[in-house]
Amino acid sequence: MMRRWIFPILAGAVFGLGAHQATLLATPYALMQAALMKVGKQGPANQFAFAPMTTAENQTIVRPSPDLSYSTCVFDVSKGPVLVDVQPVPGHYWSVSIFDARTDVAAVRSDRDTKGKAARLALVKAGQAVPAGYEPVRVGYDRGLVLIRILVAPASTFPSVDAIRRKSTCRQV
Amino acid sequence: MKTWYRYGICIALGLLGGGAVAVQQVRGGLNDGLVSNGPWETGKSFGTVDASTLTRAKVALSGLLALPAKEAMYFTAQKDSDGRALDGRCNYVVRGGKLDGRWWSVTLYEGEGWLVKNAAKRWSVPASAVAVDEAGGWSFIVSPSAQSGTWLPTGSVPKFDLTLRLYHPSTTTIQRPEAAQLPTIERKECA
Repeated sequence: MMRRWIFPILAGAVFGLGAHQATLLATPYALMQAALMKVGKQGPANQFAFAPMTTAENQTIVRPSPDLSYSTCVFDVSKGPVLVDVQPVPGHYWSVSIFDARTDVAAVRSDRDTKGKAARLALVKAGQAVPAGYEPVRVGYDRGLVLIRILVAPASTFPSVDAIRRKSTCRQV
Repeated sequence: MKTWYRYGICIALGLLGGGAVAVQQVRGGLNDGLVSNGPWETGKSFGTVDASTLTRAKVALSGLLALPAKEAMYFTAQKDSDGRALDGRCNYVVRGGKLDGRWWSVTLYEGEGWLVKNAAKRWSVPASAVAVDEAGGWSFIVSPSAQSGTWLPTGSVPKFDLTLRLYHPSTTTIQRPEAAQLPTIERKECA
């Protein structure tokens, strides 16, 4: 009797291992896709959206920092490179990070890396040319997210930080 | 019972079981189980291609868009320094010294990482908000009710966690986060 169940049980174990790995592999893509859709509602692709300071009432992405201002750009390099120009904010920590569709960081540059100067990044996929004056960032997926973090402490400095960050651009060429 | 029934039952159970185990693992918290330091836990591969499949999935759920360690480290505490789960109906004193990085903040979250609604509209304590004594020490209170001095509201939620962000950590901290000097979390009275 039991012998009839041996191969079905083995088949179940193999499918179980497969389902386990498939779930783990799919989770980052699914959650990043959901995040891109949420952020995408704040503005068109390849353009920065400048969010207000995060509160319990307006949080969209899990585990936000209420001390950082977030500016986001959903990028899509399928039709050409995307150029990211980040305006430096003197006296404040800031960074720009590029997240791919798997949630991995393709690049991150901060005021420490640029020595306080602007960051100029060209997001390109294989075969696309890098415009002069831009640092290339190779991305393995067409879509992803550009995120600028700027430390806003004390909170009263937000208006001046906000005015500067709005000079940053994200655009397709 | 027909042969294909047996296969069908076992494969269906396998698919459900494998998926359920994965979901349970992913929901098991932000740490990847590799590095503990007192009540704090962290991983060394957040946001990088070196992250394991499980770590990447966990970070996507509980800390999406986390930065790699050279830029920022995230230490999360779900328990106090005596190992008891953090309870929003209790008071805590978070006490630390100079942290080995450029800037830090401690933020309070509930669930998978959401800010807690509270009347004071305060969700974190950044380095600039604490009074530092001559020895470099500082402290603040985590409490469900207003306190004198620097305090962080819990909103009286039954369960919360604290995330310590350390931006531009030192090379030593990146390499050995388990040995970094991190704050203690001391539980006081509960409601």
